[in-house]
Amino acid sequence: MDIQLKRGLLDVCVLAAIRNDDSYGYQIIKDMKPYLQLSESTLYTILKRLEAAHMLTVKTYEYQGRLRKYYHITDEGIKRIDEFKEDWEEILSIYRFITREDGSHEEE
Amino acid sequence: MKKNEFIDQLRSRLSGLPQDDINERLSFYSEMIDDRIDDGVPEEEAVADIGSVDEVVNTILAEYPLTKLVKNKVTPKKGMPAWAIVLLVIGFPLWLPLLIAFFAVFFSIYITLWSIVFSFFATSVALVISGIACLVASVFFFMQTGFLGGIAAIGAGLAVGSLGVLLFIGSFYMAKGVVILTKKMAIGIKSLFVGK
Repeated sequence: MDIQLKRGLLDVCVLAAIRNDDSYGYQIIKDMKPYLQLSESTLYTILKRLEAAHMLTVKTYEYQGRLRKYYHITDEGIKRIDEFKEDWEEILSIYRFITREDGSHEEE
Repeated sequence: MKKNEFIDQLRSRLSGLPQDDINERLSFYSEMIDDRIDDGVPEEEAVADIGSVDEVVNTILAEYPLTKLVKNKVTPKKGMPAWAIVLLVIGFPLWLPLLIAFFAVFFSIYITLWSIVFSFFATSVALVISGIACLVASVFFFMQTGFLGGIAAIGAGLAVGSLGVLLFIGSFYMAKGVVILTKKMAIGIKSLFVGK
């Protein structure tokens, strides 16, 4: 998949994973597993990027005698998901245009 | 591989990056492994799930902003790392004599320069004194060998005396030059040790 497209998609996926409840790294990976394989290193980079863009905040809590980081979505992050949904309509119509062109090509 | 091994290997492989970043990443991976273990995954398997150390390091470096990498390489570390202090202490018998020798060389150059200046001053003073002596002696030459001898003595005295005066002026400028040179040398030595 195109790197830019995938990057934007992954950002929104991670935001969606923490949309309803605050979550932590391993939980996010588990939640996304049925849909896409996400490596720890990639997740780290995405979380960092989203934090820098103020789309999520990080809080550290103690869990069973060790520290665990929980990620909380901000209004900015929710806005990003909504924007993505709007964008998707546009992408879908572009997709239809692309596949129609393909079809007409085959007919020739 | 056990978790501690994995974290240690990762730490040493990332040692070129800023310390804060390394700590943050290591705690992230550590948390990921712990969560897997808590989820019932055996430790070795939990570590293997993260990927090999090579894979992780390659991903981190590939995603790392180039500007940050370069900046970290160029910006000198503040303070002395522990190993440098240890080396300094252990190397004491080696670097102390070297340091002494270094300063001894500079000190001897310094002494040599001033002795040259001193010898020039001494020569000029000697010339002036001998000039005056010649003039005084010319009186006796007038009386003993007559007019020609006396004139010759006066001439010689004036010539030698004026040479002495000229040399004295020359020596004075030379001393000034040495003072400036010494200052520059001191600054040079200082910047060798302290930096600019």
